[in-house]
Amino acid sequence: MSSKGKSRWADDEEDAAREAQLKKEKEEKKRLKAEKARKLEAERKAREAAAREQQPPPEESPNGPPSKRRRVSHEPESSTPQNGAPPETTNPSNLLRFNGGTFSRARSVENYDKLNDIEEGAYGWVSRARCLSTSKIVALKRLKTDPKDRSGLPVTGLREIQILRNSSHRNIVPLLEVVVSDSTTPLDPSIFLVLEFLEHDLKSILEDMPEPFLASEVKTLLLQLCSGVAYLHDNWILHRDLKTSNLLLNNRGQLKIADFGMSRYVGDPPPKLTQLVVTLWYRAPELLLGATTYDSAIDIWSIGCIFGELLTREPLLQGRNEVDELTQIFELCGLPSEETWPTFRRLPNARGLRLPSNPTPGSTTSRIRAKFPLLTSAGVQLFNSLLALDPGRRPTAKEVLEHEYFKQDPKPKQEAMFPTFPSKAGQERRRKRETPNAPARGQKAADLGAVDFSGIFAGREREERGGGFALRMV
Amino acid sequence: MAYMTNPLATPDQIFHKNSLDSLPTELRDAVFFSTQCLTQAAGILLQLPQSVTAQANVLVARFWLIEPMMSHEFSDVSAAALYLTAKIGPCPCTPRDLSNVYAYLLSKSSTFLPSPNSSLPKNIPDDYYQSETSYQAFHSRVLSLEHLILCSLSFDTTVTLPHPLAITYLQSMDFLNFPKEKITRRVVEYLNTALLSPQMLYLTTQPNGLAVAAIYNAAKDLGAKMPECEWWEVFDVDREDLGFLVVGMRSLEGWAEDMKGDGVLGKRKLGGMITRKDVKEILGSNESQQEEEDPELAMARRMDEKMREIEGGTA
Ligand SMILES: Nc1ncnc2c1ncn2[C@@H]1O[C@H](COP(=O)(O)OP(=O)(O)O)[C@@H](O)[C@H]1O
Ligand SMILES: [Mg+2]
Repeated sequence: MSSKGKSRWADDEEDAAREAQLKKEKEEKKRLKAEKARKLEAERKAREAAAREQQPPPEESPNGPPSKRRRVSHEPESSTPQNGAPPETTNPSNLLRFNGGTFSRARSVENYDKLNDIEEGAYGWVSRARCLSTSKIVALKRLKTDPKDRSGLPVTGLREIQILRNSSHRNIVPLLEVVVSDSTTPLDPSIFLVLEFLEHDLKSILEDMPEPFLASEVKTLLLQLCSGVAYLHDNWILHRDLKTSNLLLNNRGQLKIADFGMSRYVGDPPPKLTQLVVTLWYRAPELLLGATTYDSAIDIWSIGCIFGELLTREPLLQGRNEVDELTQIFELCGLPSEETWPTFRRLPNARGLRLPSNPTPGSTTSRIRAKFPLLTSAGVQLFNSLLALDPGRRPTAKEVLEHEYFKQDPKPKQEAMFPTFPSKAGQERRRKRETPNAPARGQKAADLGAVDFSGIFAGREREERGGGFALRMV
Repeated sequence: MAYMTNPLATPDQIFHKNSLDSLPTELRDAVFFSTQCLTQAAGILLQLPQSVTAQANVLVARFWLIEPMMSHEFSDVSAAALYLTAKIGPCPCTPRDLSNVYAYLLSKSSTFLPSPNSSLPKNIPDDYYQSETSYQAFHSRVLSLEHLILCSLSFDTTVTLPHPLAITYLQSMDFLNFPKEKITRRVVEYLNTALLSPQMLYLTTQPNGLAVAAIYNAAKDLGAKMPECEWWEVFDVDREDLGFLVVGMRSLEGWAEDMKGDGVLGKRKLGGMITRKDVKEILGSNESQQEEEDPELAMARRMDEKMREIEGGTA
């Protein structure tokens, strides 16, 4: 390169040509930089999820240049020894230094003192523990491993770790480290996620509340939930099991999304995915109808269900099985039609559905109003959009954050003003509840077969459904 | 800056790698290189995307800065890392396929790393027939190594590859006004070759540095015209680091040739994947004649030579 000579750094060379040349170079660099920023942004958006954000583990120090040896120079003037001067001295233009942390061996679970069990879930069990060196209280989630499973460590657990590690957001539960038990035999490894401890999960709170949350409190919770979900979706992560028992709340009114056992990275276009995700009561209609390509809209549906639950303290759509879940969805949201969901007939399980030819009686809005009499019209409108049958019509999490509902009175309550609740996690084991679990690995997706929905609005009340209303399989 | 970083080795880890199991540098490097090549070969036979195989390469390199090289069979480490990255990624492979592929690559019939002293092997399927017992044994070793690799790396399996970044950079420079495919291929070749290098560039350099150095080298090779300015600074790489990387990436080819010629790999009677047994034998016979040049100095000398070569051609 022509401009590489030593003289370009010398002070006495200030002729106009040089200046012009420098200026030209500067402009070229500027152009490149702008171009790069634009491209990078596009790249980040378009990128397959393989590459991930990395945050340094807490106890590690920022690392300097890896080794002396790599500072081999080919410029005579910088090959003079620098006496350990930091690299910045030879770095005239203040370049960005990337820090991705370091890697090291996992520590032992013996660094924690177990205090009490909190809860057993589908993929692990969780206990409260104290870090011996810092006295900090944490939650230890043990990954369930099956020594007889000859495929090794469950990929769900590995994904959970990977995604939590790469995530950093105030509404996502922080993963502090992963520890292992000392007595580990290779065939029965014990692996523990060390998570920040939060006093409650929303499910336990809802079950014990004498009165429902105030509208202002619902807004704060919903905003925090959507803010966390927006972060996930921005980073190409689908949670795939949003429900109240997976949402944690601390005594400062802060909500954090937990349980990434079902979550995964997806690209754009989305890969073929299993439809066996999301606990039944929070499962979007496209999943129930067998979609294998789906997107972030399935999480938005779950948010809609959670919204309803926050308002009434009761899960919104408690189907007994897939068909019953769909029935309840259609009862609330209306039957799918060419107009409300143009592509629904193409879904695998939709082919066998027989729908009544007469239109759904009443509007969805009126049914929602009836169910939530205290909800403002902006609230009804938001609720309605979250539970749009057509996934393409649901808002994104980011759009929800901007919704009119949150701007209206009553305003979202400040987190710090949140009421405190007695923590069950702090003392005894949380009650085992009858919420269904997320589908287990290896389970078969339900083939709904041919289902006749034509009697769905035949004027019968829900109470009667026990015997007569059950859907007919034809 | 999300999505652009990797965890890197600490200076301590790099300095102490040799004391982990006191293998002479030359041997250590030969094992490293062979294992990374083996992983690549297996990835191809298993039809895994290159991104999955590349991640396995990086995990193996990280693993061997934590665990002594000699504590497990090299080919098992390779298989376990590949199994793990395939599993987390979009296309898992079955233990059975994995076992078949490694059995083949390690057999006498395989053309993997042939010795220059013998003719190419004949394909004799019996060579790589796997009994149920040996399959089960392999499978168990892979599972326990999978776990060990994860523990050694604190379950951090994240590997950010520089490849997509390099393409983005190329795009922003209009592919240096060079045929797009040609220069891209060359860049990718440099990045893939660097995975095999015992200098462990992926463990000491963030993806942006690797991407820029690969572009610089590709442009030099093909005679593509780079911008007149110090364009690498736009991508946050300084000249000194770039110089180191450029030389490092270029030196591998010659080094590998040497090693396969009269170096560690070439001196063996038979070709194929190097094993722990081979290493022990070499160690035994080498015991007496040990007066290597200081590896640090040797490296620095080789780089200076190389750099003079490159610079000489363009001054
Ligand atoms: N960080 C935490 N702090 C306090 N409690 C937690 C924490 N993480 C989980 N829990 C409790 O444990 C339960 C199960 O944890 P979860 O991560 O959902 O596991 P699973 O996959 O088994 O459902 C949660 O519903 C919650 O009550
Ligand atoms: Mg859970």
